[in-house]
Amino acid sequence: MIHFDEMACLLYLEGQLDSARSEELSAHVRECAACRDLLHALQHETTLLSSALTEENESIPARLMGEQTRSLPSWVWTLAFGVFAACAYWFWADGIGPWFDQMSSAGFGGTDLFSMIVFSGAFWEGWSDMIDWIQFGALILVAIAAIGWIRRRLRRPVAIAVVMSALVFALALPQGASAAEVRRGRSILIPAGEVLHNDLVATGSSVRIEGTVEGDVIAFTRDLTVTGHVTGDVIAFAQEALVDGTVDGNVRVFSRGVILQGDVGKNVTAFGSSVDMISKANVGGGMIAFAGETDLDGKIQRDLLGMVGRTELDGLIGGQVWIRGGSLTVASSADLRGPATFEGPQQPFVEQGAKLASPIRTEITQEIRRTRKTAARSVIRAVFGYAVALAVGILLMVVFPGFFRAALREAGSIGLPIGIGALALITGAFLLVVGVLLLFVGVGAGVAGVMAYAPILYVAQIFVGAWLGGKIMGEAPDGVTSAAIGRMAAGLLILHVVGFIPVLGGLLGLAVLLWGTGAVLLGFYRMSRTEITPGAPLPA
Amino acid sequence: MDARRHPEGMNPAEQAVAQKRIALAKAGNAEAWGELYREYAPAIFRFCRRAMPTREDAEDATMDIFVKVRQKLSQYDASRPFRAWLYTVAANHCWDLLRRRKLRQDLETGEVENMPLEHPDPGQLEQLIESRTSQEVRRALDKLPARSRMALVLRYYSDMSYDDIAATLGVRRTFVGVVLLRARHQLREILEGQGGTSLATGGAA
Repeated sequence: MIHFDEMACLLYLEGQLDSARSEELSAHVRECAACRDLLHALQHETTLLSSALTEENESIPARLMGEQTRSLPSWVWTLAFGVFAACAYWFWADGIGPWFDQMSSAGFGGTDLFSMIVFSGAFWEGWSDMIDWIQFGALILVAIAAIGWIRRRLRRPVAIAVVMSALVFALALPQGASAAEVRRGRSILIPAGEVLHNDLVATGSSVRIEGTVEGDVIAFTRDLTVTGHVTGDVIAFAQEALVDGTVDGNVRVFSRGVILQGDVGKNVTAFGSSVDMISKANVGGGMIAFAGETDLDGKIQRDLLGMVGRTELDGLIGGQVWIRGGSLTVASSADLRGPATFEGPQQPFVEQGAKLASPIRTEITQEIRRTRKTAARSVIRAVFGYAVALAVGILLMVVFPGFFRAALREAGSIGLPIGIGALALITGAFLLVVGVLLLFVGVGAGVAGVMAYAPILYVAQIFVGAWLGGKIMGEAPDGVTSAAIGRMAAGLLILHVVGFIPVLGGLLGLAVLLWGTGAVLLGFYRMSRTEITPGAPLPA
Repeated sequence: MDARRHPEGMNPAEQAVAQKRIALAKAGNAEAWGELYREYAPAIFRFCRRAMPTREDAEDATMDIFVKVRQKLSQYDASRPFRAWLYTVAANHCWDLLRRRKLRQDLETGEVENMPLEHPDPGQLEQLIESRTSQEVRRALDKLPARSRMALVLRYYSDMSYDDIAATLGVRRTFVGVVLLRARHQLREILEGQGGTSLATGGAA
């Protein structure tokens, strides 16, 4: 008897044989036990394969089921964008302006810019006005959207970490640091006569450049002194910065005190509590100064832009002048060749003999803040704050549904999240104090730490609110539904209203903060460990 | 014999709803798209999990596939079952990825390809199949060369036709059976390695 081979049997089982051959095989297996057995064995193999392949032995990763972000309803984005735009306006009109007013009245008396901003008692009010929770909410909105966007493009956490650190690095070292010479040490000196044919990145308690650097200088230090020649830019984070030599490029310094005595070929950007320029100094380009006080005796060939508490102009300014701040004095030796604008609480003082291209255009800013802060205003503010918190909540719910569910679940266990929240805040505060007090350079890191904490503290209320809403109105179904949003809205409203009650509101606020923070952290923890199995239909 | 193991399994009313949803998603309705995604993402993830070497690869592939599907949705011909179309997109994507990674292993090169397959002994084959669990089979599948595994997944998970398999893997239609049979043989060898029995008895034709 002629048997059929395995191939023919398989094709027969799979319905791939033409009808003539198929019939032939059917007829054959009725007679032939061997071929019939083979057919059966193959059939069983097919069944085994199918069941092995289709069996649901693994859960679907939460990451995938959170992926409905692709299909965010457009109204979410419209809402988010609307709130963001409103907040951006608010931030500009209400935050930036008062900040600089505050800056002038508070003065820059701290040890350095960071600690001054954060810790100087005189500034606390200004700080809370500058970035209050509303604006902060707006920033978080943007951050959530950005993270959501990044997550979609770069899925692996590793990739995100790499990109983020690269970004930080790129920001910290704006110029081609890869090819640069890096020097570390207590004090770094490029002695007179030495020529460095490279960029220089220097970290140390003092950095002195007496020789020549044919490239950029990037310095992180307490004392920076440049008496030599730098052909590129000088970028410095320092406590005191003195530029006495020649810099062909730009000077960009973040420093408590900045003194310019030499020649700068291009522009100067200076952040500091005082920015001074002596009469022999010359800036080929323009100057931007953010400072407590500035005394400009030298020559600035182009424009001057300043947000400065107290400004004194004694030298030449080739372009236009725009200054916002507390006071402006134009000395007799001054020579302003372009139009000048001053925004501040009082008229500028112009000494006799000062040369002006045109009279200084002055805008008197009102004593804002306290007077303007009427009851109606604080109500508007409260409504705004509520709307932003709700928008952030909805966005979280939509963009990170898995995380939202996890954190909400954790909020339900009350005691544990409050404990974890308290622990986290105490640890955070401790780390901050250690970072700031023990390490001088730790201030920046400390502030960065606060910035990392802050979003968590902000979203804390959302989970407590959502939990509260769920308790009152009954558990909402999972996912982004109007029911879930409604519960969150109700809960948040209660929290915000209760927050108005003196003393009790504050205490409850603290409890909510601890509780929600704990829930968020536990949510993160759970998300990193577990995966959810969605109830979506699966292949049969 | 060619029973559909993944029937759309819907009555006409449900089918109409599904078709409408697809049409809405095609027209750019985000909600309908979200529903489609939620409905099919688990199946596509499982497909990718079977076809790709790691879980992470599978997750990434699933996301990319849905990006593609959304872009290509306008090209979907509504007369075809949606699930089948989806699997075609998924299969092409995964196979592209695997090929780009040069996962085609030595086993798949020329001479091995032409090596005659030994005729199995039905009794021993039956015994081997009886003695192996789904999990063991899955583990064995993971050890298969990419093309063999892909062929088995396309056929026995996605229930794809020989024509579609041929198109996806870039082989002639008549060669699909050979690829499948060879894959089964490779799988049996691996399974045997886990156990001990030998199947081959020499070619009977």
